[in-house]
Amino acid sequence: MFTTVQARFLCRKCLRQTTGRRVQLISTVPFRKHLKDEAKQRRINNGKAKPKVPTARGSANENWELTVGIEVHAQLNTTHKLFSEAATSFNDPPNSHVALVDAAFPGAQPIFQKETLIPALRAAIALGCNVHRKSEFDRKHYFYWDQPAGYQITQYYHPLAKDGFITLYDYDGIAPEDGKEVRVGIKQIQMEQDTAKTLHQLPSTHLLDFNRVSHPLIEIITLPQIHHPATAAACVRKIQAILNAVDAAVLGMELGGLRADVNVSVRHRNQPEGQGVGAEYSGVKGLGQRTEIKNLSSFKAVEDAIKAERNRQIDVLEAGGIIEGETRGWNLGSTGTRKLRGKEGEVDYRYMPDPDLGPVIVGKDLVDYIRRSLPPLPDDHFKVLTSSDRHYNLAPKDAKTLINLDDGDRVEYYKNVTDEVRKGLLNYRDGSRSYAESDEAVVKAGKMTGNWVLHELGGLLATSGTPWEENPVGESALASILTFLSLKKITGTTAKTLLSLKFDDPRPIPQIIAEDDLTLRPMSEEELRGLANEVMRGNERMVKAVKEKGEVGKVGWFVGQMVRRGVEGRVEAREAERVVREMLGVGDVGDRK
Amino acid sequence: MSLLREAERSLGNLQKFRSLNAFVNSVRDERLLLDRVKESDARRELGKPKSPIDGRLIAIKDNICTLHYPTTCASGILKGFKSPFDATVVKKLQDSGATIVGKTNLDEFGMGSHSTHSRFGAVKSLQTGPNGKALSPGGSSGGSAVAVSSGQCYAALGTDTGGSVRLPASYCGIVGFKPSYGLVSRWGVVAYANSLDTVGVLARDCKTVKEVLNAIDGYDPQDPTSIPASTRSRIANLRARRRRVGPFRIGVPAEYNVEELSPIIRQTWLKTLQHLQSLGHEIYPVSLPATQHALSAYYILAPAEASSNLARYDGVRYGARDNASDDTSGVLYAETRDKGFGEEVKRRILLGAYSLSAEVADIDGLACRAMNNYFIQAQKIRRLVQQDFDSVFYLPNPLSSPSSSDLASAEADPAHGSPKVDVLLCPTAPTLPPTIESLSGKSPLDAYVNDVFTVPASLAGLPAISLPVKSTGEGSDMCGVNSVGIQIIGQYGDDELVFDVAELIEE
Repeated sequence: MFTTVQARFLCRKCLRQTTGRRVQLISTVPFRKHLKDEAKQRRINNGKAKPKVPTARGSANENWELTVGIEVHAQLNTTHKLFSEAATSFNDPPNSHVALVDAAFPGAQPIFQKETLIPALRAAIALGCNVHRKSEFDRKHYFYWDQPAGYQITQYYHPLAKDGFITLYDYDGIAPEDGKEVRVGIKQIQMEQDTAKTLHQLPSTHLLDFNRVSHPLIEIITLPQIHHPATAAACVRKIQAILNAVDAAVLGMELGGLRADVNVSVRHRNQPEGQGVGAEYSGVKGLGQRTEIKNLSSFKAVEDAIKAERNRQIDVLEAGGIIEGETRGWNLGSTGTRKLRGKEGEVDYRYMPDPDLGPVIVGKDLVDYIRRSLPPLPDDHFKVLTSSDRHYNLAPKDAKTLINLDDGDRVEYYKNVTDEVRKGLLNYRDGSRSYAESDEAVVKAGKMTGNWVLHELGGLLATSGTPWEENPVGESALASILTFLSLKKITGTTAKTLLSLKFDDPRPIPQIIAEDDLTLRPMSEEELRGLANEVMRGNERMVKAVKEKGEVGKVGWFVGQMVRRGVEGRVEAREAERVVREMLGVGDVGDRK
Repeated sequence: MSLLREAERSLGNLQKFRSLNAFVNSVRDERLLLDRVKESDARRELGKPKSPIDGRLIAIKDNICTLHYPTTCASGILKGFKSPFDATVVKKLQDSGATIVGKTNLDEFGMGSHSTHSRFGAVKSLQTGPNGKALSPGGSSGGSAVAVSSGQCYAALGTDTGGSVRLPASYCGIVGFKPSYGLVSRWGVVAYANSLDTVGVLARDCKTVKEVLNAIDGYDPQDPTSIPASTRSRIANLRARRRRVGPFRIGVPAEYNVEELSPIIRQTWLKTLQHLQSLGHEIYPVSLPATQHALSAYYILAPAEASSNLARYDGVRYGARDNASDDTSGVLYAETRDKGFGEEVKRRILLGAYSLSAEVADIDGLACRAMNNYFIQAQKIRRLVQQDFDSVFYLPNPLSSPSSSDLASAEADPAHGSPKVDVLLCPTAPTLPPTIESLSGKSPLDAYVNDVFTVPASLAGLPAISLPVKSTGEGSDMCGVNSVGIQIIGQYGDDELVFDVAELIEE
């Protein structure tokens, strides 16, 4: 049964509109717990051996071309709802941010909150769309308990923006068949309201949380120009990255801030046009009958659902059947899509211009201003990270990994740390010692920081199970560690120790180094040779292997032994190697291949 | 008479005329109410009343939200519903010192012309026809009209979507005014058809209507269709620049002189025009050719919006819910909506749902440009109706493009027929109030015909008043009704002029 939840206006912000009786909150769902459980379930699912999505038989697959169009719904990053002054929220207590109009109370009217346009416009511009001077709101009717008014206010006849595109590159993870890059058209972007959240309480209770009602969304509709499941996933991933980069949408798919519907069709490659492939979608002709798969909530789900649906369609067609235009569903972990409703069950949305809401007029000056002030996009990031003129010099693979991690937070972190390390080096003065742009330490700062952010820090986070949002190592802490390392004030080993110390040591890095006496006091040549001798003395056979058989690879073993036997934080690996090589007569460090 | 005396008399009538079924809920604590009126009396004696309506008892149509009375819209689906807030108009009345005496009966959600489609039973008119037969009080604000005509309140608020204030005013022999769309806030007014809905005032004379109107008029940021201050001052400027010396120019729309017009109505209309002419005002015939399509357009647009607005009544968050299973695999709201709504409301929901869906050219899940459904067609007719009015009024439409609001260009073009007029004058309804008995055998379509003269002003958002004029002509003493509703329609924003002309006739 459905519980009537009549809580309203519990927050200050929402209260501003009217004063009225506060209605007792009936719902008692521990929402945080619910979220936690959801996250837990996700982790379990992720950890589990992933269920196999059957791959289409190679030959059959070659005969059929897949075509995919995507609709992405993204929650805009705004403080207010689309049509009320109630606050947007993510996991506040249920029904604590609900204005009268959000719960569709009789006599309540929507007031368009102008500032919600800003993130929507940022998204539209970042996706290369033409922003319409005039757009309008329409009502899309259907009955569902999470839709209080019985209609969703969206933009149907006159959307906010049209005719954009998104370019996907190989480093975005598109299918190898797509080559280096593929361009996907964006048909339109429209603003609309989100629905309420249903909290299921087994066996048969459904509680409604109206906090999410009227959270501003944008719907991004691509043209059916995608032909590979991996490319579709890359497209959604990149849309998320772009929305995040321009601050249009902050919650990613994993937190429910982004949802995707895909429409899927296949056609036989050798079939001449007009033979059973007469469908046309968004002006793209000659396609097979498509089906729509709704509500995909992860990149993986997008890819797997498309694969499964493609295979299903091919199987049906090869068995002589026909594809019905229908809406299908996909559950994470399942092996096939399932029919939700057929054409006969299709909803007639009875679109109607909203009679309360006037048109939205967007001035060219606003569009120009937003265009000028747009933050860099992920592709810009990539260029910046891989080029030498901005000093990062990252390998494309590392750059891509950084960009795609943690909704773009990781790359920001990386850049800030690198900038700080470089600054630290360039400003360093110690007697006559100073660093110029051309110094090796400065040139390599970007690469080194990349390594540390991805591998050293990444590894520690992974082993301790710490999510990125709770990363205990601040930018300046890591920058400090890496600056000391570059200046050879500490050894690599010490740097690693410091990094793991920062997971629960609140002291600033310089203080830890000072108090724990971690400063590198470089060993003299004599001390080094003495230590090397000590190691060689007990290992004559190894010495012989290097000297006589030329097994240069064993040099590393000696270095390792020296680091282990020496005083902690004093043995610099490079110096140790130099000495070992000299003593064993196997050439310079630089010769190493 | 003291305010207290007047209030006591109203409360007496409330008891006396309970059988008229004008109210669905009325004041429970009379002592408290009278105490408040005493305070108003005291203020009045000190010469410091809050407003001209301080201490007056006002009745509110039950589709306007009130915190202290249930708001039912005369529908089963809102049985026992208490709104958590007061409508802006209710708040403004109370701020002016007025007291809400109760909520008046209506056609469910405002859908009807005789106040018979109510979950609480039909409203009965104070007047009776030949042989004592019950007459229609008009609708949908029939409860408000009867409450006024039987002295149960000082004035009443109604809502007028296609004539719902003017028609009952006409049938009950009182004054009913529908303001320009957007002048009075709709925040808290339960929507029937948002683009047409207005809050109107019913009272025994123009002066009272104006007093109440002044209290509820004004910009409300909570209503997105409320006319903002900047537009109001633009309208005021436009009116001020109008040449206002000399006689009024009264337009008589030829299209309203229909065959079905009953002789008494036609003769009273004529008599009113003669009266104005005798006072030196000028009468001009005008043509409003789109009028013949206005009623059809209205009965597409209003039900379409209604079907949308009424989709929220599902019993999930408020209102009545049927006990039938709401299992997710079943038809969730069917029982609740089937039992909650009355026949006329269901008819209009179906009509509206049909006109929104019919013949929509739908390609690829998105409408193609050439959308062709009835709703869009009707919107075009609506625009034509508005252009008709704009072409006959001297005052340009302040909401049209700025160039057309230039007074100079609005001067009569001698090459093109008649000069422009200040107001239009026509009957409110084509007949006198029908007997309730005569309604029962008729199709819903016949009821819709009652709105033929009131709907055009609604479509164009114009101010219009229905004024009782003593009926003349053959059989006028036989029908049991002694007045005919005469309607005066003004240009958008020209509400004051409508009153000016109405007061001339009233005298």
